[in-house]
Amino acid sequence: MSRRWKVFRRNRMALLGAVIVGAMVLTALGAAWIATHDPETRTESFRTPPDSAHWLGTDENGFDVFSRVVYGARASLVTAVSAVGFALLFGVPLGLLAGWHGGWTDGTIMRLVDVMLAFPSILLAVAIAAALGEASLTTVILAVGVVRVPLFIRQVRAAVLQVKSQEYVTAAQALGAGHTRILLRTVLPNCIAPILVLATLSTGIAILDAAGLSFLGLGPPETSPEWGVMLTKARVYIQHDYQWMLLPPGLAISLTVLGFNLLGDGLRDAYDPRQSR
Amino acid sequence: MKYALRRILVTFPLLLAVSLVVFALTDALPGDAADMRFEKHPAAKEQWRAERGLDDPFVVRWLRYVGGVVTRFDLDRSYLDDEPVGPELSIKLQATFELTACALFLAILIGITVGILSAVFPRSPVDYAANLLALCGISIPVFWLGMMLIVLAVNVFDFGFSSNRYDPDLDVGGFATHLFLLESLVRLRFDVFLSCARNLLLPSLALSTIPMAVITRMTRSSMLEEMGKDYATTARAKGLPATRVVLRHILRNALIPILTITGLQFGQLMGGAVLTESVFSWPGLGRYIVDNGVEARDTPVIVGGILLVATMFVLVNLLVDLLYAVIDPRIRRGT
Repeated sequence: MSRRWKVFRRNRMALLGAVIVGAMVLTALGAAWIATHDPETRTESFRTPPDSAHWLGTDENGFDVFSRVVYGARASLVTAVSAVGFALLFGVPLGLLAGWHGGWTDGTIMRLVDVMLAFPSILLAVAIAAALGEASLTTVILAVGVVRVPLFIRQVRAAVLQVKSQEYVTAAQALGAGHTRILLRTVLPNCIAPILVLATLSTGIAILDAAGLSFLGLGPPETSPEWGVMLTKARVYIQHDYQWMLLPPGLAISLTVLGFNLLGDGLRDAYDPRQSR
Repeated sequence: MKYALRRILVTFPLLLAVSLVVFALTDALPGDAADMRFEKHPAAKEQWRAERGLDDPFVVRWLRYVGGVVTRFDLDRSYLDDEPVGPELSIKLQATFELTACALFLAILIGITVGILSAVFPRSPVDYAANLLALCGISIPVFWLGMMLIVLAVNVFDFGFSSNRYDPDLDVGGFATHLFLLESLVRLRFDVFLSCARNLLLPSLALSTIPMAVITRMTRSSMLEEMGKDYATTARAKGLPATRVVLRHILRNALIPILTITGLQFGQLMGGAVLTESVFSWPGLGRYIVDNGVEARDTPVIVGGILLVATMFVLVNLLVDLLYAVIDPRIRRGT
């Protein structure tokens, strides 16, 4: 652990990623204290440029843009973390089962994975969001989460196959440990590293996918403080004088995703130096 | 040969399963376009549903659909006007294909060049700049980048473009396909070509960022790995010029992982283009599926459209797998 921490700490980019992600988490948690206005209460001014009262100006509904960006961190992180949580919930057990059991279980699960991976992910998410009907944050979470499940199954299965033939697993079997015990106590802990890396990188991608779905009108309602929604609204003004409205939500998404990507790359380098970029 | 045959045969059940998933997903759609169409005539709706066989069990409808696709390339008819959706989807598919191909061309050209430079000069300014750009490429939302490009083009560069595929004043009556960029080249219609290229430039630039970043990273790591191997040292020790060693010996061996990732990216792009198409109002398949399918609840458009994209994706990956076998004889022999 300490060796990995040393590798990680020496990697400045990874540290930067950790700082960005940490800052975003704090912003999401403390949104109520950081925001200067309520993100869904109309103020007196409309479409004003940044000033001392509204640090990033106001939008066409009279909402304070800075406060909406701050609350957007909460919406984005909650969506992405829930989506990745969903993918973990289904992906890890199925991956463990496929890798450990082998045979027809493995065959069936992996064919399912093949079918799901035959769709470009955004389009599958669009279809799922459409099938769920009502455009809301829950819909986005499910759509983005389902799309990521096959990736987790594949990663966990590969990790299990690698661990399976190790001597400590044979030793545990020789000691008479049951399947469940070996899987949970011996195999899973040794698969944590690749799962952690994939989960971190997936969170970044989930933020992008969720913003994309919102942008296509499949996400939360137009007034909710969410970065994708804010960009959709700002899009109307591309050819007018309010182009700066594009900047706050766009930069917020890019910075957050960059943070998760840097952190994910850093974790991968720390756990598996051979795979470093 | 046996490998190729087996690989091709696996594709059929996969596509069948894909069609089942799309069919099942759209079956769950709450309400459809016909609700609006027959709003005032519930009786007419019942009759129409019976005529179209929409009240049949799920499996019957699915089998009939698959039968229609396989025997007649028939992608069913719209719920809005009972017109076949196939022809329009095919036009949109060609538009998306052209956009995707251009984006991928840019991505491969720049990605492989920069990747090689990064690998040859590791820890140089070029390497750091490439790494930074690649990181931005996978972190910036495509649709935001697209909007920023529009703002830049209009305000700073005064670059005029439209959301049409070509200038509507130009005559493209004799064109056989909707791959205007390609066909105008073949027909030596440079006016059409330039007009198309102009309108394609910004959307394909926006769309190319993710694959460009992915290809750059893959090229760099794959090249670095190959450079350390014995055959590379041998080639250098023989006194061959450095450029020749890098381009002829190392790149050839580094190409396989680059090829895989490119194939995967192509499929993702066909679908991922939906965001770019939406920003640039490009008349492509993804946007058509969202606007005319999902928004209007016209189920056949959604099913047909997604099936087309998924089929392209599966076929491209098949092609990549077959190409491997050509490049690497070990795979052919299945060892």
